[in-house]
This record gives sequence, structure tokens and C-alpha cells, in this order.
Amino acid sequence: MKSSQVIAEGGGALGSSASAKAEETAQASQRRFVGGFLGSFLAVLAAVLAFNVVVDPLALAGTGLVPTAVEPDRSIKLDLIQHLEHGPQILILGDSRGRQAQPSQLERLTGHTAFNAAVTGGSAPEAYVFVRFTADRFPHQKRRYIWFTDEGLASGIVQPQLAQDPRARRYLPDVPRFGLGDVKTYLSTDATKDSWRVFEKCMLASCHTKINYNADGSLTRQSLRFLPEHAKSLRRSIAARLAGVRANRGTLRQARQDLSLPGRFAYLDRMLAFMNQRGEVPVIVLNPLYPSVLAAEEKNGFPTHRATMEKLAQLHKRFRFVVVNCEDMRKWHGTKRDWSNASHVNRANMRRELRYIVARSDGVLH
Amino acid sequence: MLFNSYVFLFAFLPAVLAGWWGLSRWKPLRLAFLSGASWFFYAWWDWRYLPVLIGATSVDFLAGRWIAASTSEPRRRLLLATSLATNVGILAYFKYAGFFFDSLNGIGRALGLGAGLPPLRILLPIGISFYTFNSMSYTIDIFRRRVEPTRNVLEYTTFVGLFPHLIAGPIVRFTDLSEQLKRLTPRLTSETASRGMFFLSCGLVKKLLIADQLNPYVARLYSDHGHLGLLSGWAAAVGYSLQLYFDFSGYSDMAVGLACLLGFRFPQNFNSPFKAVNISDFWRRWHMSLSSWFRDYLFIPLGGSQRGGKRTVLNLVVTMFLAGLWHGAAWTFVVWGLVHGLFLGSHAVLRRAGWTPSSAALNRALTFLLVCAAFVIFRAPSLSVAGDVLSSMLGLHGLDASAQLHALVPLKFALLAAALLVFVNVAPNTWQIRLKPRAWQGMAAGVAAAIAVMTIAQPHPFIYFQF
Repeated sequence: MKSSQVIAEGGGALGSSASAKAEETAQASQRRFVGGFLGSFLAVLAAVLAFNVVVDPLALAGTGLVPTAVEPDRSIKLDLIQHLEHGPQILILGDSRGRQAQPSQLERLTGHTAFNAAVTGGSAPEAYVFVRFTADRFPHQKRRYIWFTDEGLASGIVQPQLAQDPRARRYLPDVPRFGLGDVKTYLSTDATKDSWRVFEKCMLASCHTKINYNADGSLTRQSLRFLPEHAKSLRRSIAARLAGVRANRGTLRQARQDLSLPGRFAYLDRMLAFMNQRGEVPVIVLNPLYPSVLAAEEKNGFPTHRATMEKLAQLHKRFRFVVVNCEDMRKWHGTKRDWSNASHVNRANMRRELRYIVARSDGVLH
Repeated sequence: MLFNSYVFLFAFLPAVLAGWWGLSRWKPLRLAFLSGASWFFYAWWDWRYLPVLIGATSVDFLAGRWIAASTSEPRRRLLLATSLATNVGILAYFKYAGFFFDSLNGIGRALGLGAGLPPLRILLPIGISFYTFNSMSYTIDIFRRRVEPTRNVLEYTTFVGLFPHLIAGPIVRFTDLSEQLKRLTPRLTSETASRGMFFLSCGLVKKLLIADQLNPYVARLYSDHGHLGLLSGWAAAVGYSLQLYFDFSGYSDMAVGLACLLGFRFPQNFNSPFKAVNISDFWRRWHMSLSSWFRDYLFIPLGGSQRGGKRTVLNLVVTMFLAGLWHGAAWTFVVWGLVHGLFLGSHAVLRRAGWTPSSAALNRALTFLLVCAAFVIFRAPSLSVAGDVLSSMLGLHGLDASAQLHALVPLKFALLAAALLVFVNVAPNTWQIRLKPRAWQGMAAGVAAAIAVMTIAQPHPFIYFQF
């Protein structure tokens, strides 16, 4: 009896020590889980941030080791203007839609030399920088301007790729610096995808951009296949755009609110004031929309267009400029097949559009 | 402040965890700190609504104590009525007054009387439906003598305001937390930390890598409701059902994980609802804290299923009508609730008659299809939009044109939805996974959470935040 009691007690002691050991092992593995979680979580985020800062695909950090994922067309066109021998008499400004405009055609139509300074995603800050830079490069010369823009008119946001160029920075008083907001951007999957694209391209091919420009700022190639706005299927691009229009049915009130955001028109105001001071009157062109997209917008009352026209009327009280509305391609005899996607015309349609713009510009381009 | 935001994950949460565990020796200070942090979390959205939360909390705390102290039945009833009237009054004013005025104006216009009432536009305080229900369950349970009221005001403010459940549940009862609040966990153990991190990373993945990825496709489908065909109509219904499930169960997982990191245990809110074999099983698995709230505080007091077939159906319809209305002040939610009431009532009748299919697979498929179809009404901004989508699901708008189908249901979306359908039908849910922590599992969870965090650039609020 006694001996069995001893064995039982011994067994109990052994059992409790075994369970204590098991608990200790469990705790150790739980600690390793926590350590692994925190370590890998922070390591992945730190690695992603470091990779994106080094590659700097959006030109936020100013590392400049490899070309940015966004097109460096702002810097390229500043280079081209810097190397021009004579100042252009017409400066083409605006976004990727305006990039199709050919200075040589404008010269034939008006008899004036031209330079295409339109850039991807270009808005008022870009236009202002190009106007000021050209004016400083070729002082004492009056100039004509065509500014391609769309409904919504202008953005006050300075794109980092513009702000990173020291020549542009002179004209941008509120240049954004690398801050917490940029850390957030560089922790994102989108920025990481951009970095990877740049990295892959530089490792597998060359680091040079495929998009090349002539000395007058026009695109070297007729083909649109290499342009980011080119759609593989025009039909699908239009269907997607139509679905987008239906998804974002805004109201006139919203559109007015968007246009009254503080700072939105700061650069446009500065640009128009600068031009008018020099006795120059720009032509503002509202970009075309694919007919079915325009019809869908008009079916909704096209509030952004209405708000834009109201804003232009307000600006007209303070500044001199000419507006040419090219949204409806029937006005300038465009064809449905000459579009690269639902919002970008190709070169053939741009020729038709330019003829219309020159004819409707109240003589300011002549 | 959203759980899926940088400011929450990298500033608020580390600061609260440091403070909470740093003060572990001083219980009152700890509770005051956690209540304060939760109120700060709430005020981050709009500080002007903090007094509403504090007011409701104070009224229910006092009402609870006085109900327990009182021996007079009429006085107890009066105190309970005061507590309920405060909570329902807050809900009625902030959530339903605008809807009520608009509906009256609509009726007036239909009768040719014009709109007599001014339109009310009151901003809905976030989480109001959740914390008022938390609070009401407390006073009702005290009235029923099922719960002892707390004498510690800090325990009560922490119970109502605890930030993991404050704005979108789960609807925690006082019985779930009272013992935990009395005996606070003295230190963060590796077990609770690993469990908390596991749930948190599952929630982040569900919300950010699944629900938010479905969102643009679903939004586009519903905005194009007039042009949907048979396939795109079903894509809209199934896509939204999956989005809602991963969004809300992701939120619930995060809430459970965050509570764990603070040393609290929350009840389960989802139990693989798409594996339900009938509609009543679905409601035992979907948003469990809400359905059990309605069961305990409404369905059973109405008589439950004990008063014959007809009364059971009526009780189910009334309960689900109010559950629908709880979700939002709109006719779509009312109809959605009524539809579920009818589903539940029909199921009760069919089950009594022995007419339910015997095949579990068939039952499961039927339940899923009915739930998906009902979620169309839940998601649609109006009944006419819901009608468009539902009629396209019935094939009344024909098949989709090829280009339209490509635009609305891209291959990526179709593959993602198909994979998720398999996942929700086969994979265990977060609560069923028996975690045997290993370093590599921690690393995998950490990598998954980091990838999810990388998609935060534009955080989308959780769908249930609007309720």
C-alpha cells in the first residue's frame, strides 16, 4: 500500500512536471509565433519602403538612380525648349490629348512656328511652368498658346515629377517635400508594382523611355501602340468608360463643389494673369469625348461640363482668353474610327480638330 | 478612425497597447485609460457626437443600478422604460427621423397633398446602432435579474465604449465581459498575443485583400443596373454577398483580435454562414451577436415558436422586419428584413410539414441562392435598382452582350469570385482553425498582414460602419 502510494505520488510529480514542460514548450512556440509575426510584418514593410525609395517610381524622394515609372516627359520637354534656337510663336500646352498635336501642321495653318509642350497628365501647374520657362528662355517675344484641357478644367496639384525638376521648381512656390504622406504612398502595392516595372525594365531591357520626341515637342512615331493611352480594344475601352460614367453620376452641386476646392485654380489664375500682362490671349480647348460617352454624359445632364462653363464665365470677367469647345467631334468633322481610346483621338482626328481650333480662335492664333 | 488605416495600426493601437499593459498594476487607472482611448477613437470621427455616447452610457449605468436596487415592480418598469426610451429615442432621432419625414412627404405627394414636412438631414453618429443595443441588453438583463449591475462606472464605460466593438460590433452582452472586467488580465501572455495577432491578420486579409478588391467590380455592376443581363445580374448578387461576408467577418475577426491583444475574449460573430443548410441555420451563423440579440430580446418575448404555427410566422416576420430596419433607415432594408422574415416563416411551415428537401447539398445551394438574392435588396440604393438586378437574374433582360460582359465582369473578377465561392464552402472559418503556433506560421501571418496593409493607400470604410 505504502509503496503504491509512493509510486502514485511519484507519478503525479512526474505528470505535473511533464505538463509544466509541455506548457513551457507551448509558450516558447507562442513567443516564436509573436516574434515571427512582428518581425516579418515590420521587415516586409521596411523592405518595401526601402525598395520604393531607392527606385523612386513616382519621383517623390528625388533619388534619381533610375528613370521614374511615370513618364519623364516634363523634363524631356524642358530640355527640348532649353535647346531651341528660336522661341516658338505658338506654345501647345495641356495633357496627353494635346500631345498628338503637330507643330508642323499648326505652322502650315497659321504661318507661325510652334512647340508642343503638352505632357501626360499635364494640368495648370505644368502649363504655367512651360509658359514661364519659355518666356524666360526667350524674353521679349510675344507668344500664342493653345491649352488642351477637359471638363474640370484645372488641377492645383503639382505632380512630383514636375516638382523634382530644378528648372520647374523655380516657378513652383509650394513644392511638396518627401513626407509622411509619401511614406504611405511608398508603402502601397501600386507604388511597389510601379517600382517593380521600372526595376524589371532596367534589368531586362534598357532604362530609357520608349516615347521619343522631335525637336518641336511632337511625337516621333505615328503609331500609338507605345503610348499609355492606347487601348488594345477601342470597343472595350468605350464600354469600360461608359460603365464608369454610369457609376459616377454626379450632380451639378458636387461638380461646383469640386471646382471650388481651395487652391485648385491657383496656377491657372497665375498663368492667365501672366499671359494677359504680356498682352497674350490663350486659346483654351475643351478636349473631345467619344460620341457615345458624350451622349451618356449629356443624358445625365453633364454636370461637370456645366460647372466648367460657369467657371470659365467667371474667369472671363478677370482674364482674356478664347474657349473652343471640341467635346462634340461632329463640330470638327471627326470620325469614330480615329480614336485610340474613349477619350484620346489619334493623329488623323487631331488634324481635323486643329483645323477647327485655328478657325474658331477669333484670330488670336494668326 | 478605421481599423484599416495607418493612423490606427501604427499610432493608435501601439499607443493604447503600451498604455494598457503599462498600467497593469492599477485597475482603475487602466480602465480610465481604456475608456478615454475608446472615446478618443470615437471622437476622431466627429467629436460632436461623443456626448451622445457618454449620455447614453450614463443613463443606462444609473438605470441599471436603480433597477437592481428597487423592489417596487412599477418603479423597476419605469426605470427600464426610461433606459429603453433614451436608447430608442437616440436611434429614432438620429437614424429614423429623416426617413420618417421623407416617407410622410412621399405619402403626402402620392395623395396630392404635396410635401408638408421640411426634409431632415441628420448625420448618423457612427456605431449608434451597436452601442445602443449593447446598452439596452444591460438594463433589460438587470430587469430580468439575469445580471448583477456593476458598481464600478469605469467597468461600465469600458464595456460600452471598448473600441474594438464600439462602431460595428459584435454586439457584446454585459454577461460576456463582466467577469473579464472584474478580473482584468494582469499581463499579455504569449498565448493571447499570438491568438490576437492571428485574428487581426485574418481580418486584415479578409477586408483588404478580398472585400476591398471585390468592391470596384460590385460597385460598377450596381451602378450599371439598367444594363445587366443574366450573367452580370448573378455576378452582382454573388459578388456583393461575398464582399459583404468578407468585409464584415473581416471586421469581426479584427475586433476579436484587438480584444485579445487587450486581454478580452469576444463572442464569435460568424460561423461559415454560406455553409448553412437552411435559412434559420443561416441566421444562426451570420452576424450571430445581432441575431441572438433579436432572438432573446424580441422574438422570444413575442412568444417565439411556442404559440402555434401562425403566431411563429408572425413573430418571425415582425422580428426580421425590425432587424431589417435596424440596419438602416431605408425601404430597401425594410423589404430585405421582411423577405428574410418570409423566408424564415416559410421554412418553419415547410419543416413542420416535412416538405424540406432531404439532400444537404441541395438545401445548402438553395439557401445560398436565396440569401444572395435577398442581399441584392440590401445592397441596392433603391427598390427600383433592386428590381432591375433581380429581374436580370431571372433572365428578363436576356443574356449579356459580349463587350458589356467583358467590361462588367472581367476575367479577374470572375476567377476571384469562383475561388471565393469554393473557399467559403470548403475552408474552415477563423474560429475553427486550431492554432498551434510555430515561428513560420507567425511569419506567414505577418507577411500576409503586411501585404494587406500595403493596399491601405485609399482605405474603404467597413460596410457595417454605416449602420
